Amino acid sequence: MRVWIKFAMDGALRYLSHLDTMRMWQRAVRRAALPVAYSQGFNPHPKMSFAMALPVGVISHAQYLDINFTKDIRAADLENLQQVLPAGLTLLGWRIVPAKIPPLMSLVRAACWEQKITDAEAVEKKVAQLLSRTEIMVERKGKKGLKMINLRPFIYDLTIKGQEQKLIMLLAVGNIGSAKPEEVLSLLHLSPNNSLCQTEILLGVGEALQSPLAVCLREKEVSLNAKANYYQLRQ
Amino acid sequence: MKNYRQIFREKILPRLQKPTRYLGNEINAVIKEDKPLQIKVALAFPDLYEIGMSHLGLKILYHLINENDDWSAERVFMPAPDLEAILQEENFPLCSLETVTPLSLFDLVGFTLQYELSYATVLQMLSLGGIPLTAEERNEGDPLVVGGGPCAFNPEPLVDFFDFFILGDAEELLPQVLEILQKHKALPRKEKLLRLAAVKGVYVPAFYEAQYGKQGEYLGTVAKTEAVPKTVQRAVVANLDQAFYPIDFIVPYGSIVHDRLVLEIFRGCTRGCRFCQAGIIYRPVRERKPETLRELALKMVRATGYEEIALSSLSSGDYSAIDQLVRGLNKDLAREGVSLSLPSLRLDSFATGLAEQVQRVRKSGLTFAPEAGTQRLRDVINKNITEEDLLIAVKDAFANGWTAVKLYFMMGLPTETDEDLLGIADLAKKVVSAYKEVGGKGKPRVTVSVSIFVPKPHTPFQWFGQITEEEILRRQSVLKKALRIPGVQFQYHDAQTSILEAALARGGRELAPVIKRAAELGCRLDGWEEHFSYSAWQQAFGEVGLELAAAAQKQFAADEPLPWDHLDTGVSKRYLWREYQKALASEATEDCRQGCLGCGMALLLKEEEEKGVCSNASLD
Repeated sequence: MRVWIKFAMDGALRYLSHLDTMRMWQRAVRRAALPVAYSQGFNPHPKMSFAMALPVGVISHAQYLDINFTKDIRAADLENLQQVLPAGLTLLGWRIVPAKIPPLMSLVRAACWEQKITDAEAVEKKVAQLLSRTEIMVERKGKKGLKMINLRPFIYDLTIKGQEQKLIMLLAVGNIGSAKPEEVLSLLHLSPNNSLCQTEILLGVGEALQSPLAVCLREKEVSLNAKANYYQLRQ
Repeated sequence: MKNYRQIFREKILPRLQKPTRYLGNEINAVIKEDKPLQIKVALAFPDLYEIGMSHLGLKILYHLINENDDWSAERVFMPAPDLEAILQEENFPLCSLETVTPLSLFDLVGFTLQYELSYATVLQMLSLGGIPLTAEERNEGDPLVVGGGPCAFNPEPLVDFFDFFILGDAEELLPQVLEILQKHKALPRKEKLLRLAAVKGVYVPAFYEAQYGKQGEYLGTVAKTEAVPKTVQRAVVANLDQAFYPIDFIVPYGSIVHDRLVLEIFRGCTRGCRFCQAGIIYRPVRERKPETLRELALKMVRATGYEEIALSSLSSGDYSAIDQLVRGLNKDLAREGVSLSLPSLRLDSFATGLAEQVQRVRKSGLTFAPEAGTQRLRDVINKNITEEDLLIAVKDAFANGWTAVKLYFMMGLPTETDEDLLGIADLAKKVVSAYKEVGGKGKPRVTVSVSIFVPKPHTPFQWFGQITEEEILRRQSVLKKALRIPGVQFQYHDAQTSILEAALARGGRELAPVIKRAAELGCRLDGWEEHFSYSAWQQAFGEVGLELAAAAQKQFAADEPLPWDHLDTGVSKRYLWREYQKALASEATEDCRQGCLGCGMALLLKEEEEKGVCSNASLD
């Protein structure tokens, strides 16, 4: 049985690296005695992966674990799992997904981030300026040294919640390209602070973006041949 | 009180390279924040988190103390240089991990003394923690500072900085100590120490005095009062099977050096290798029963979720039911997706196919320790394995798919000649040929690692002075030349680190000012190449009027008092001397399980109900 589990990582757990988080989950499922599936081969490892790697130091209210079990598990099993997780890690929800849906991480198209700001009005002006541009060239370190990329297409939306003094960023993720929250903050002359939080990740459904727990998953509905249509995500 | 926790978590943690070392809320960490406590203990390990968290003794004591509702134990490690700098800059004290409490606010601060190169680090931690460096300077409100572990068997270089030491197994001793501290909480320090000194295994150095003759020659260390024993005897847990063992190991977030469960299958080793201190100070052999171990293993996996469990002892092949144990554990653990490893296998026990059973999955590397290159020298050190044992073992390993072996040797052993060094190269060649003989493809990877022998107290070689730096370097170059063999990689140790280790290991109370000065000069984390400064240590020795090299090379005469003579491991000095003389005559000694050798342990154990293998012992 394959399950997507949504969880939050708060407080000091923000300092866990992607690898630390993976190791922590592997040990947690063993503590909970859940029947996790193992890969074959010389060095078997539990079949689990995350929707996306989180930068160290950033908290998340929308991490997702994509995990395979050898048997069906029940809601009570996941409640037990919460008991063996470290303080700061909270299970938020889960759903069963068809076995043949591609790995969750390959479906992610966008992530939503928010950070507390002090001067909402000033930031709002900068946001308006930034969004009015058609091209925002930034430097990125790649394998072959520095290169320039246009960040604009990957910034889907920036909004200010003035009352809450919050900046909300909807940024692209995935192999088509991505924008990192720290890059956007830097364009606004801000830097990531303690409050920077990933609030949701979103899967692409046609022109729309959908939460992994809400999206309708139907495998092989369109065409087996066209790779892009191997699966279809529907509302 | 200042909110140390809030400041640390908000202002300091975000600035650190590896914050996960300092979170203190790992799975199974015990945080007794809101409970009324009688005795608060800080368990201090004078090295980085990754090293200290890999140490079994710390895990045992941590959970043992925390089992008691009146007591708490919290961990503290030497901060990495980034945090150390911040603590100094911000004038923020070194704190425990669990509740972020400054060291100076604990009732007892216990240091694990695993190796001599951690001595300066101990002083750094005391001063970062806001505790006066010397026992003499401490006031009633300051914690008592205690040391334990192998180096507590010659703690003389450290006596100024400690209020007391505990010698031997702490499982029964430490609770006794804490009960006394709880019962007499209101008494002055000196009164507490007097009561502690009456407990077997407790050494309060202030009640003993080092005496010197007219020429300044050392005469011995004697009790200043009749209220304390003339010699301090080691505490021994007679029944290890029923002794406390933790199942709920703390599970670190980041990876540590030994990131796995550890199951101690027995304590002690009677093989009698003459260089080995552990073989003396952990006598006699005491085993846990296979059924106890299987039960523990499953509970440990459940409590931690670890994916690997290592069987631990000084020589695991010597466990009386090793085959039965490994088979049983493998069956239990396979179901949990947990692998079993057996790190301390003597190569004469390898041939039984044990290693194959254990390391079924990853055939990465195997390690063997012949220790010396010729049979003659192996007889001198009483490492009772032959060249044939080694070659059978490596052939077996190569035939079973291993391609890499690591061979451990020592250089600078008593009576060693260049012939013995060339013997190391000879063995390495034979191991490479063995690979070809069993039809191995390509080249094997044979690593020859040669460390520098450091004579240790309470061993048959305690009288022997280390060879000079010049001679170490010469012998290393002999080895370098001889080990230019295709398929063989030569690794050797830094001479100066081993010289300092030797100087501190067999020193007396005269070294206390040296260590203090070295700490002032910034020495710390000396086991780490990037932090080690030989010149600072030389300077520290020099300023006190001593010479580092001379201390390392000191040769003791047969009748000369040794700085640790008043500390009794149970093994008599007479026995050790006899073994030393046999060594010089290249005469081997059998494992005492073949017949008692009268080492003296039976005397120490005479009041215990159970004596392990010592129960049939005859007396010397």
